[in-house]
Amino acid sequence: MVPSLGNLALWLSLLFAFFQFIVSRKNINLKFISVSVIGLLISSLISFFILMYLHIVSDFSVLNVFQNSHTTKPLLYKISGVWGNHEGSMLLWILVLTLFNYFIFKLLNKKNSDFILKTLETQAFITIGFILFTVLTSNPFERMIPAQANGLGFNPILQDPALVIHPPLLYIGYVGFSAAFSMSIATLTLSNSEKILWYNYMKPFVVAAWTFLSIGIALGSVWAYYELGWGGWWFWDPVENASFMPWLLGTALLHSLIIVEKRKSLQTWVLLLSILAFLLSVVGTFLVRSGILTSVHTFALDPSRGIYILTFTALLGGYSLMLFATRSKKYFDNSYFNFFSKEGSILVNNIFMVVVCATVFLGTLYPLLVEAFTNNKISVGEPYYNSTVIPIIIPAILVMGIGPILDWGKEDKSKTFKKIFPSVLLTLIMTVFIFLFYQSYSFIGIAGIILAFWIISNNLLILFKRNKNYSIGMIIAHLGVGLLILGITGSSVWQEEKITRMKLEDVTKIEKYNIVLKKIDEIKESNYVALQGNFLVYDEKKNIIAKLKPENRFYPVTNNFTTEASIHTNLFRDLYIVLGEGNLSDGWVVRIYYNPLVIWIWIGALVIFIGGITSTNINLRKLKILSQ
Amino acid sequence: MKKQLLIIPSILFLLILLALFYLLIIERNPSELPSNLLNKNVPKFETESLLKSKKFVSTKEFGNEVVLVNFFATWCKPCRDEHFYIQRFANEKGIRIVGINYKDNPKKTIRWLKNLGNPYSDVPIDKNGRIAIDWGVYGIPETFIINSKGIIKYRHVGPITKKMYRKINLLIKEIE
Repeated sequence: MVPSLGNLALWLSLLFAFFQFIVSRKNINLKFISVSVIGLLISSLISFFILMYLHIVSDFSVLNVFQNSHTTKPLLYKISGVWGNHEGSMLLWILVLTLFNYFIFKLLNKKNSDFILKTLETQAFITIGFILFTVLTSNPFERMIPAQANGLGFNPILQDPALVIHPPLLYIGYVGFSAAFSMSIATLTLSNSEKILWYNYMKPFVVAAWTFLSIGIALGSVWAYYELGWGGWWFWDPVENASFMPWLLGTALLHSLIIVEKRKSLQTWVLLLSILAFLLSVVGTFLVRSGILTSVHTFALDPSRGIYILTFTALLGGYSLMLFATRSKKYFDNSYFNFFSKEGSILVNNIFMVVVCATVFLGTLYPLLVEAFTNNKISVGEPYYNSTVIPIIIPAILVMGIGPILDWGKEDKSKTFKKIFPSVLLTLIMTVFIFLFYQSYSFIGIAGIILAFWIISNNLLILFKRNKNYSIGMIIAHLGVGLLILGITGSSVWQEEKITRMKLEDVTKIEKYNIVLKKIDEIKESNYVALQGNFLVYDEKKNIIAKLKPENRFYPVTNNFTTEASIHTNLFRDLYIVLGEGNLSDGWVVRIYYNPLVIWIWIGALVIFIGGITSTNINLRKLKILSQ
Repeated sequence: MKKQLLIIPSILFLLILLALFYLLIIERNPSELPSNLLNKNVPKFETESLLKSKKFVSTKEFGNEVVLVNFFATWCKPCRDEHFYIQRFANEKGIRIVGINYKDNPKKTIRWLKNLGNPYSDVPIDKNGRIAIDWGVYGIPETFIINSKGIIKYRHVGPITKKMYRKINLLIKEIE
């Protein structure tokens, strides 16, 4: 009964989306539009929460619940299990789409009706595409006859707090780009009768999308670091790349929008970027859900889904890019600008971002193409990305440090040195300090640390000068990037790894720490049993500074093992212990990592998020004043 | 800027789309790995059997009829997922299936087969993974088709899905 209601709500939302697509035109009674938008929102809310309810009460007459849940699962993971699988996550995706749809609708007034209505029409088209995909190929309300007594269980490596909010945040990011996409389409189709400041409408959506995508990706990294137990936080996995590529284009888009806002140039470029950012998000979805590549993220393999998403992408992309090819010329302007200026630096960074994006794209698809045409299996991994991405990123970050303090139009070169002198000084002092502390020298290490402090000190100085010309959101976000680079450099350049077999009372030394295995406990929880190692960490003065308890868990329902790393964190380094297999007589395999500065990656990501939210807020307020 | 340049994004997009469509259409299976043992004799091995008291001797067991060899373990979740299809091979097609029990606990395996049903005619034990190495197994589950002359004709890495079930069925018919 309840599952059928959910199904009904899903079909209703499809109906409302069609209705919105038809009535989103001028001269049609506004009531119709509000009925469709609100109907769409309510019906998708209902279907989403019904699925959540089914997961909470463990209704195993529903295939989706049966395949992904179990009565012994904690409530939090019963809820997150809704979007921890392909079908349910599509429902979440649709819900976020309809929420954004509603926000766009709220902007509608007499002055901008042409623009907003066209945007809503495109949004409706996208929504139809995703709902159709869900009901045709992946309906979460599919029944299971006869109902089963218990479910198959939920993949235990997904039972992690970071993964509870990772997908919703990512979807807000991807879907936010859909708003920019629709607005770009609306701008291109608009006749000149309605003079609209389209970029002011687009900006809050882009900033919000970028912000949520950033924190979503960061939480994915947090999960990989704490849960996978491989000692790292980024693996250039194809699916990580699928979220990283829209982020790169989003970064370029965000910054170009500032130029459009201030100087009215680069409009064509921004229209193109906003189309591409969303297309890449959809292509990312395609890569993850078509089973075309294998990765830790891939959902069940089903080629019919792949064909559907790809056809949908072809429709969206074909229409939008042809529109761009034929209509974007009127937004083109021939003004050139000075290289040594704020807009010059933004443009240079734009180019870097797009090049990095193309490089990652190539690395992700290349193995597939090689295999299709030559039948050889190759794998493109970390060495490729390290040797291609890092050399492009370094100059980009250098420019990022100086960009904000340059003037618009033309920078007065005689004053530049005076402006940057304090931050150069601060950078040098901090770099020397760091190297005295870690005493390890390599080119990448030195470059990374200098760049990090270059960004941090430039932004701190702007902050202390209290110059009203700067957006506070920008400064905070840039500070966050500086901290992020600090963490990335530290953890990748100075990481130490030890893999040994340890018996009770054995001692392993890593850096200045002595680690002793005291005992192994067996523990029992509702959904798993575990072996828990008890390690004591001594510093050079023989003081105990931490007790670490890594676990080796066994989940009987799904019959698999997971490792829970145990980590001692401070501002300078993480000590990271993973317990492997073993027994009392031979000892246990233990992996110990010394990861410097990792905490700054998470702090940096959080600071970026705070900056992004601040900026979204400011841009929304601006838009409200403007559209009144 | 020339107006013609504005069409470049569409062209690039078209090319990428074509490549992706091509990848989908060729029914490339990321789990299908070429095997060095393809069209070669089954590697020889002798080991304990989980179900029978006498030893499992590969030279005696292969070469009489078409046999499906399935590497599995109770601790492997995908093995559990594919078990349904392995059973269908046994029940519907009456094909002989040898399940090599990879690095597992014999007691757990017996319980597992009791709960889920036993499609295997014999279960040789690969206690330390030695046999899997000889067969070039990447990770379990893996399934091989051996023809009636004892030659490996096909290898599949990963669980058997609905689609793979149909494909392997066709292959078996062909090989028979």
